[in-house]
Amino acid sequence: MASSSGNDDDLTIPRAAINKMIKETLPNVRVANDARELVVNCCTEFIHLVSSEANEICNKSEKKTISPEHVINALESLGFGSYITEVKDVLQECKSVALKRRKASSRLENLGIPEEELLRQQQELFAKARQQQAELAQQEWLQMQQAAEQAHMAATSASAAQQAGSSQDEDDDDDI
Amino acid sequence: MSASTTDKDNNVSTNKNISLPISRVRLIMKSSPDVSSINQDALFLTTKATELFVQYLAVSSFNNGSGKGSKSLSYSDLASTAEEKDTFHFLTDILPKKILAGDYLKTLEQIQDEEADN
Repeated sequence: MASSSGNDDDLTIPRAAINKMIKETLPNVRVANDARELVVNCCTEFIHLVSSEANEICNKSEKKTISPEHVINALESLGFGSYITEVKDVLQECKSVALKRRKASSRLENLGIPEEELLRQQQELFAKARQQQAELAQQEWLQMQQAAEQAHMAATSASAAQQAGSSQDEDDDDDI
Repeated sequence: MSASTTDKDNNVSTNKNISLPISRVRLIMKSSPDVSSINQDALFLTTKATELFVQYLAVSSFNNGSGKGSKSLSYSDLASTAEEKDTFHFLTDILPKKILAGDYLKTLEQIQDEEADN
């Protein structure tokens, strides 16, 4: 992740996130601006504190990646042991949510149908769809033809009636 | 029970359990000297612990502070709490108690006087 703004030391939690937390924690309390700024910096400091401590514990355990255990031990040794129960609970929540997502996306894979069969079914569906389209198009064409024929017939009989009518008139004239 | 998902690469967590942006926390952790790789679960734990810390800092400072009656929280409330509580001692570097410029200058003068005497 490339950061284009400043060096690593300028990294802080976004002010908005902190403001929101303060508001939720101390509703109806006016908090001075410099106090808010201070909380933002304290956050960063806290994260560094926990990271360093967890990192040391991690190094001693000869593992390369900081694990949840390392973080928990770090919290304990730093005097934040009272946080442990709650952060563990949240971790469980996060894990179960992630698990649900994975299950949902793999449900399709777990149908047990091999890929070739799925492909064949897809082709079948496409062929059916094409056929339906063709039938529909043909129906429309027939309807158009019929409509055109009727219109033609109507026009023909109308002109025929006109001709017949005008010859009648001539006869009448002769009779006078 | 949270119904939404937490995207690993999202800047903002959509998980109801965590309010702080996880990717930002990861960045800050990695900027610590010597920290190489962090397990995703360890990241969750650290983020949540940081949230608890913010809440604890705010509430402690408010309860011990002078603004409790007037429902306000000031810089000095935070600074005082950091000095008093052991677990907050790591903060004293970044939040020196503010002093008036005048007082500071006086102190400087005193130091200079003492050095002159020696």
